[in-house]
Amino acid sequence: MIYDMKPWQWVTHVIFHPTEGFEDMRWKKAGSLKISFFIVFLLFASQVFSTRYGGFAYNTRAYSDVFNIMPILVQSVAYYGTWVVSNWSICTLFDGEGNMRRVAIYTAYSLVPFIIGNTLSTALSYFLTLDESIWYNAISMIGLWWSVILMVFAMKACHQYSFTMTFVSMISTVAGMVLILCLLALIMSLFQQVYVFFATIYTEILYRFRS
Amino acid sequence: MKFRKILSVLLVALMAVSVMIVPALAVDPYTTYSYDAWDNALPSQAGYEVINTVNGDDIGLWQLSDPTSEFYISENEPSTLSDSKDFFLSPNKEFYIADTGNNRIVKTDLDFNLLACYKYFPGSTSKHTVVDESGNEIEVDADELKSPYGVFVDEDDVIYIADRDNQRVVKCVEETKTSARILNEYYRPETPLYESVSFYCTKVVVDAAKNVYVICPAVNKGAIMFSDSGSFVGYYGANRVEVTAEVIRNKLWRKIASEQQIASLTKSTPVEYANFDIDKEGFIYTVTEVANASTDAVKKMNPAGYNILERTADNNEFGDQVSATYNGTTYATRLTDIAVSDDGFINILDYTTGRVFQYDERCNLLLIFGFDQEEQRGGFNNPNALETYGNNVYVLDGRNNDITTFGLTEFGQYVHDAIQLHNRGFYEEAYDLWQEVLKRDGGYYMALVGTAKALYNQDDYEGAMKYSKLSFYADEYDKAFEASRQETLRDNFTLYVIIIFLLVILYFVVKYLQKKGKIPKKLIATACGKVVDACKNAAVSVVDKIKKGGKGK
Repeated sequence: MIYDMKPWQWVTHVIFHPTEGFEDMRWKKAGSLKISFFIVFLLFASQVFSTRYGGFAYNTRAYSDVFNIMPILVQSVAYYGTWVVSNWSICTLFDGEGNMRRVAIYTAYSLVPFIIGNTLSTALSYFLTLDESIWYNAISMIGLWWSVILMVFAMKACHQYSFTMTFVSMISTVAGMVLILCLLALIMSLFQQVYVFFATIYTEILYRFRS
Repeated sequence: MKFRKILSVLLVALMAVSVMIVPALAVDPYTTYSYDAWDNALPSQAGYEVINTVNGDDIGLWQLSDPTSEFYISENEPSTLSDSKDFFLSPNKEFYIADTGNNRIVKTDLDFNLLACYKYFPGSTSKHTVVDESGNEIEVDADELKSPYGVFVDEDDVIYIADRDNQRVVKCVEETKTSARILNEYYRPETPLYESVSFYCTKVVVDAAKNVYVICPAVNKGAIMFSDSGSFVGYYGANRVEVTAEVIRNKLWRKIASEQQIASLTKSTPVEYANFDIDKEGFIYTVTEVANASTDAVKKMNPAGYNILERTADNNEFGDQVSATYNGTTYATRLTDIAVSDDGFINILDYTTGRVFQYDERCNLLLIFGFDQEEQRGGFNNPNALETYGNNVYVLDGRNNDITTFGLTEFGQYVHDAIQLHNRGFYEEAYDLWQEVLKRDGGYYMALVGTAKALYNQDDYEGAMKYSKLSFYADEYDKAFEASRQETLRDNFTLYVIIIFLLVILYFVVKYLQKKGKIPKKLIATACGKVVDACKNAAVSVVDKIKKGGKGK
């Protein structure tokens, strides 16, 4: 096989050849950061699509007027970012070969089936009744598990791990993500209080000068 | 010219007349509301309005101290009600009011004209002692009542009175206009099963088999049930424990704690119910008065004590689900009485706000009326009891010492007629009535549901989908959607088959041509490129337009 493919052809190659695709990509030093970021944007867009659209019987929440984009932003972009950071920091300690750029690219590429499954099932819910929800569930589940399997092989190829090592690293990555998010929340609330403190001083001074 | 003048004068006159007509529009004296599918309170039309209010004088209680009257009791017998706790509409259409503060039972007809007032109760057979709140043994003054809290009357006009401070239930019949002969008394059950020392009974209900059900606020195992002869049968239909975080925590602690520690833990006990009513089919309805109770707030129990609303109700939230805090006091729903009308409507009285919530037999909220501004008619201070007769609802206020009668408005009549047809499955017949309701209140939840069901039955699936979307009713929408999808498929079946057939043929032709080399890859590439270019140009022009528009401003 000749591996002189265009950047976007690598995406399809990787998706349909999970076991050797990522190894090929590593060998050829292929994979584009631009495409990865585009995929992450698509992930965000598909999440918005599946919360805001869908058949009425499937997604009644989409038809209420309240919509907050922040949770979706966290669920897509923030989770992706923390995953990349956490995986890189843990695998650096565990003698993984991948650098951060490669982790980012491989993670993004393996997310594609999930995005497609999510979008397809939401679109399909316009044509399905609740009795036929098995199709809806099947498509989103296939997308999800395909992505999970891809992710395992991506991480394995990225860091050149054995299978057990891959699973250990992935579980500890999730633990690392929880840690990072907790710390972030802590820091944010701390800065909030610092900000409130300075704002109070500012208003206090302002009152003194005025009176 | 003259013609014009006459015309203008006529027009002015017409306008004046029309201006004079406008103030004739009736304005509701109260703001009423109902809940939508999201449990938001929406302004609504008044379903009930006050017909009249009667106090002790209107009933004719002055006759009790008038020596010439047949109702004469004594010179200084009070002519008002006093902190009245309960009243009851007997099967023979007479009101029995438990006049708690004056220790008497007042009997009136449907228009609240005095029929009798029972002050004396001869015929008690036993001298009985009871233990009062401070632990002293006192002898019951058997011939009179001491703060009667509850009253019930069966179809033979036998009166059952929950004689609270005498700690007994009295069964009696009328003897004269001022006295009733005691037939039987029910005291604290002398059995190890009954753990409480006292027997402060507050409400009483009797079923068709003459079993007597008594509520004691100190007993949380359910209603205390006596047989007709007066022997203790058992407890009836206890509430369940409401699952809160504390209950779960205690349950977990119990698994690991030592016995001494367990003894110091608080027991999770169910809340006793506050009041009950029995409907014409013999089902007993209960309400629980605890603030914002969500478990077993309202129950409909069969003779075995099982709550059948668990299975049949569309909704299990009663009263206002939100509580409000003013000046440090929190006001939450406290359901104090329940009354079931002959048509099966369930009326619930909220002690805190003085509101009456009316539900249908499947517990769909219909109407909310009454409020807690006691200075105004239809407002309550201590709403203690509720009764219904026909379409009327009567509320007894223990502070104002009066009884308010509510009657249906036109809107309420439409709602009642429509929901009765709706619950029997006559959706199409109910359609016109629901439309009348929607004309008056466009956000009325049950009207939207009813319209959706009616349109579905009339095979108007698009309309059914629209209204089930408005009422946020996913299952009904799904039914209508399935039918409409089937209909479109059936109507356009040949078209779809032809399209699929053509696509398949096209696919094979393209494949074949590609194989032959008739369509080089370059051609596909250029075609794709052209489409991309066109999109690009369109996008650029749109961006330019936006930019120009921005500069123009």
